[in-house]
Amino acid sequence: MNSKVELSRIAKGKKPIYLDGRSIDNLMAMIMTLTQEVSVLRDRLDTIEVLLAEKETISLEDIDNFVPSDDVVMQRKEKRQLLLKRILLPLEKDLEK
Amino acid sequence: MQPQPNHDESVRQDFVTDLRAFLTDEIFSKIVPYYEKNVEPEFVKEQSRKPKDKSEVRDLMLKDKSYQSWSLLQRLSQQMMFTSVIDTVERTLNDLIDRSKLHTSLGTLELDNKVEVPRYLTAYDIHQQPGGYHTEKIEDDIAPGVVYDISLPIYSRNSMGDENDLLSQAIIGHMQKHIKMPEPESILDMGCAIGNSTLPFAKIFPSAEIHGIDVASPCLRYAHARANALGVTAHFSQQNAEQTKFEDATFDLITSCLLLHETSHDALPKIIYETYRLLKPGGWMIHLDVYPFHRETIEPLYDFLKDWEVTNNNENFSGALRNMNLQQIFEDAGFSKETIEFTSAEAIAQYTKGYTGDFYLKLPIYLAQKPKTA
Repeated sequence: MNSKVELSRIAKGKKPIYLDGRSIDNLMAMIMTLTQEVSVLRDRLDTIEVLLAEKETISLEDIDNFVPSDDVVMQRKEKRQLLLKRILLPLEKDLEK
Repeated sequence: MQPQPNHDESVRQDFVTDLRAFLTDEIFSKIVPYYEKNVEPEFVKEQSRKPKDKSEVRDLMLKDKSYQSWSLLQRLSQQMMFTSVIDTVERTLNDLIDRSKLHTSLGTLELDNKVEVPRYLTAYDIHQQPGGYHTEKIEDDIAPGVVYDISLPIYSRNSMGDENDLLSQAIIGHMQKHIKMPEPESILDMGCAIGNSTLPFAKIFPSAEIHGIDVASPCLRYAHARANALGVTAHFSQQNAEQTKFEDATFDLITSCLLLHETSHDALPKIIYETYRLLKPGGWMIHLDVYPFHRETIEPLYDFLKDWEVTNNNENFSGALRNMNLQQIFEDAGFSKETIEFTSAEAIAQYTKGYTGDFYLKLPIYLAQKPKTA
């Protein structure tokens, strides 16, 4: 039996500074990860809603085995695009100056 | 051979695909007009001329917060891709390693722990893949190969094909259309990693012997398991393309996909000389890589943007490669001058899984033939 292994999540290499210092760059990373988690939560909620429309009780397994239909995939994509559009609106506006 | 992400991992990965699409379609698409309308006119006002080269453009753009915001987001999207994929690989790794040992009868796998991973692959993690392609954390590790395999569709908006083999399909298409050569009996793919660009040659030339070499053992283990899962015979061995154990004049065709720009000033000529040594007289080499030279005619802005990966995505050598005299290196190695060509392999890539449309790709390739009389 193999033991549980922990994989690295930070890449080795130069870390350029993009905005007004490392802490602002870090804030951007945090905001994007938070946005990702909002998206994950919303998709999970959506999965539960779709499943509950079909039967009264569902299990954790039902959620993990859920395969979204093409329609659901497209709807989620559109919602993610809207979420990103809202989050990144200030940048988009700056670039449209 | 790929792991099954659980619900949240799967939609977390979907988010990264969509983030990358958004950054390209909605943000990056605005950079050029923004530069032309805002950044360049400021420069012209002060200097009474346009920026003359990419280094002047760089000075302007690295001070521009809007450009830098896109650049940072693009870099972060690469990091988010890897972290979202690594969650799945880490959780399922023991099972994946067990599965990788189930079917191994097709082809061979030869690892050699005396092969050192060169400094150009250990000094920094290329493409920002944490741990690079070579790091092993556990016995019979395949993790870096799996991470690479399931990242590619996210990276490419699912446009690399079901088996991530678009690049070598483009090489094969170019060969069939433009190169007069008998069907190769032996083929070597250098820097093969997980073999995604190796296997198409085995399928199109079923009677040929196909070899893939790389320095990264976990990728090679995964390559062999993956080839077996796909029912394809190929031989994978841990070797450095700068100096291999193959005998002189072993192969009719030697290829690489995106290998050369991950090497170094010293290593690249060695790889070309080794390619020459390993080719049979009349054999061909085809390396698919970045555009090999800076074109004088290119707009300074595009010249600057083309180098984005160099400083922002740990592709340190790809900028320097463009300044090397490859023509001279190929000639010095012995390749027939009149056969050396820097051209493009064409491919039609198709977005899938919720994205539609196809796009035309021109992939730079470097070709040369070993003289028939060599």
